[in-house]
Amino acid sequence: MNAITKTDKATDAGVSRRFFLVGSAAGTLVLGYAATSKLSEALAAGPGAFAPSAWVAINKDGKVEVTVGKADMGQHIASTMAQIVAEELESSWKDMTIAFASNDPKYNDPVLGAQITGGSWSTGMNFDAMSRAGAAGRITLIKAAAEMMGVPEAECQARESRVRHTKSNKAVTYAQIVASGKAAKVWTADELKAIKLKAPAQYRLIGQSVPQLDIPSKTNGTARYGIDTFLPGMLYGKLALPPVRYGAKVTGLDDAEAKKVPGFVQAVVLDDKTGTTSGWVVAVAKTYEGARKAADALKITYDKGPHAAVTDAAIVAEAKRLQAEGTAGFLFVKNGDSAGAIGTAAKVMEAEYLTSLNIHAPMEPMNATAREENGTWHIYTGNQFATRTTGIAAAVLGVEQAKIVMHQHYLGGGFGRRLESDMVIPALLAAKAVGKPVKVIYSREDDMRMDFTRPLTYQKVKVGLDGNGKPVALEHDVIGAWPTARWGIPEFLTPAVDKKGPHDSFTVNGADAWYTIPNHTVRNYKNEVAQNATPSGQLRSVAPAWTFWALESVMDEIAAATGQDPVEMRLALLDGSGANAGGDKPQTSGGAKRLANALRTAVGRSGYGAIKLGPNEGMGVAAVSSQERSSPTWTACVAHVAVDPGSGAVTVKRLTIAMDVGTAINPDGVKAQIEGSALWGASIALHEKATMKNGAIEQTNFDGYTPMRMADAPEIDISIISNGEAPVGCGEPAVTVVAPAIANAIFKAVGARVRSLPITAEAVKAAMKA
Amino acid sequence: MINLTINGKEQKVDVAGDTPLLWVIREHLQMTGTKFGCGAGLCGSCTVHINGEAVRSCQTAVSEAVGKKVTTIEGLDSKGQHPLQRAFVAEQVPQCGYCQSGQIMQAAALLAKNNDPSKAEIVEHMNGNLCRCMTYARIQRAILRAAADMRGV
Ligand code: FES
Ligand code: FES
Repeated sequence: MNAITKTDKATDAGVSRRFFLVGSAAGTLVLGYAATSKLSEALAAGPGAFAPSAWVAINKDGKVEVTVGKADMGQHIASTMAQIVAEELESSWKDMTIAFASNDPKYNDPVLGAQITGGSWSTGMNFDAMSRAGAAGRITLIKAAAEMMGVPEAECQARESRVRHTKSNKAVTYAQIVASGKAAKVWTADELKAIKLKAPAQYRLIGQSVPQLDIPSKTNGTARYGIDTFLPGMLYGKLALPPVRYGAKVTGLDDAEAKKVPGFVQAVVLDDKTGTTSGWVVAVAKTYEGARKAADALKITYDKGPHAAVTDAAIVAEAKRLQAEGTAGFLFVKNGDSAGAIGTAAKVMEAEYLTSLNIHAPMEPMNATAREENGTWHIYTGNQFATRTTGIAAAVLGVEQAKIVMHQHYLGGGFGRRLESDMVIPALLAAKAVGKPVKVIYSREDDMRMDFTRPLTYQKVKVGLDGNGKPVALEHDVIGAWPTARWGIPEFLTPAVDKKGPHDSFTVNGADAWYTIPNHTVRNYKNEVAQNATPSGQLRSVAPAWTFWALESVMDEIAAATGQDPVEMRLALLDGSGANAGGDKPQTSGGAKRLANALRTAVGRSGYGAIKLGPNEGMGVAAVSSQERSSPTWTACVAHVAVDPGSGAVTVKRLTIAMDVGTAINPDGVKAQIEGSALWGASIALHEKATMKNGAIEQTNFDGYTPMRMADAPEIDISIISNGEAPVGCGEPAVTVVAPAIANAIFKAVGARVRSLPITAEAVKAAMKA
Repeated sequence: MINLTINGKEQKVDVAGDTPLLWVIREHLQMTGTKFGCGAGLCGSCTVHINGEAVRSCQTAVSEAVGKKVTTIEGLDSKGQHPLQRAFVAEQVPQCGYCQSGQIMQAAALLAKNNDPSKAEIVEHMNGNLCRCMTYARIQRAILRAAADMRGV
């Protein structure tokens, strides 16, 4: 992902931060990466305008504030970053506080060179930078403390926010050191790199389930989300939307009725130069209830545009056409000669897998507040991709990116929805039109109808087996909309293996799995009908949630067709030979064998094959390496289901999950993420389905679109494998492993093979008869 | 002018009587602990108490709250230390946190009447409250913990 550093000039700051500065400003000790070595220069402007990225600040009272350029959407990332810093800084957990960065490039991710939160990247990619920041701070504090106490530095030790001279037992607190103003040092990049970080055995905080710093504020109503913004003189905006998801134009607007609504100010037709939205109008009023009434009262006529007839069926038909034609795909994997090997295989199997459109529907509907002051535009919202949202905002307004300031808030759920930037557009354009701050709150209906959905996908898989039922060839075609391509960031795309051109590998990740299959071809197809009609987005875990749906289902189909045990068959293929040995990066160290271990763990914990199940019950397995091949989180699941043979209704009794996270920084936090993502996986496996008709998303609220509720939540048994390897993301992989495990369990229970998500009772019933 | 009693305090708001209580609390009075999730009575994010009963403030006209005692998450306990609030911290329940005010207010109405609920009673009472982060298992555990706390065990 280093490539993204090239996408935006503003991110150059990320690469040129060659120094790490520790110095005092107005009684606060500031620690941060900087492009300049001149502490005085950086400090001259005072703490408010401190030039280098002020990631860590220690106040006079000893409180340590960690400023995070990440979106906190429930994964407690700010708290995790604070934990990494505190480990090396040797500060007490009770002194730690968190804050969110603005969109200033100085807060960009040190690896990605941008502010983006997604792909379970945060922890792994920031671990080193945050650790070194903490360590450099500690060393500088010890040096100052030694000076203050008149003792040799080497005889001092830092612990719990104080430095102690071990021989004399004299000590000074971090607060006292900060007050002395003595701690100051410029670290060069080389010096920083030379710091010896702690070995895992020395960790005191990492690996501990310290309480998450953001949680208390989320139990008493004080946590501030974007929707909680209030500005002096602020007006409200409510969307009035066209009858299609994308491509409509406003041809006429009559606001006569809206004018009768008390407090109505103006209806603004959005002229969105970025094409992110189409045919949107914002009704602006003094109150939100007024804006809602006014939006309803507007009479708008539309040209519905070119996608007004698109349906799910049309999207699937186009996908099948593309696959059958076979020429438009981009090669993502090409190992050996799969066509040749299929031609000579003892047995050939073929299957098609589908996944439906899905809606993110975070509990906090999309919203943003915008305000202009002296030519600078301030945006108040919660967003996962501040860098791109800044670019979109600037383009929409026709101003420079430097004129956009984004004020980050807690996200009332992200799941990839807030990687998008649409929500800032109506706020900005309405504020511009009326010359006052405007808060735009999408209704739930607006939020669902204009979701950047998880794409509808169609996959065709063909396998060639040898005489022993061992897969020797695998051909996997993946066809869907390409969300990342829609973003128009060339560096986010991947060159095809045969140099045919760039493609969106975020729609096919996972298909390059870690099974040893000598002849393997994966082709990635963009479905233009879907691309245009259903602008698609990244939904929690993205491609691995459909690629593993196909792959882990077909693995079971092979096992069933050849009389093999699905666990034993997988273990044999996860032999870690050749490229599957891993180890080209710390994250892949150990390779496929770590997935085999995770699978054994889940299988063992679940009682698979050992405990007696009730009638029409079954256990199914799946094993995944989500998210990307370069950053796998080895995850296995055993699903235990019961099927009602009369109706086909499926009850998930228990999910047993084993995940190798390398290093669990906060085991309880990891567990919470796995709990949530496993249930998300079960929810999209069984409960969530969106459909398109006449170019529009048909589901508009939680009656039509029905995420899992408490009554449907199965028991979950979680094993976290923490073996000292590099930390990897834990918020997404479980999403991808649950659906195939459930489908495989249904097959075991009643012999019904369902190949389409979500799995409905009707589909199970039909497959039972077949 | 509409007179309301919210968290024991008299409030005057200049809104139409059919305005949903949710918008009055959140936008007019800027008490933002109560959340907007669906506006249709389908998610429970907006749950407040009226005379001790859990209601969906998005489905309640402000005029219906006149002369009654409205309690929001900010007023559940003056120090934010209701047994449920302590239990939600102890069990580390919130993820994004957005649904949690509603979850806590919904659960508080149950525990006020029944401080020893079974798991099935909890599920029945809480099933209308969506959590998109799917913190359901922890919500259950926290309610059981708070109930035990309230019973003094
Ligand atoms: S906002 Fe009231 S129930 Fe959802
Ligand atoms: S904690 Fe995020 S919706 Fe419940």
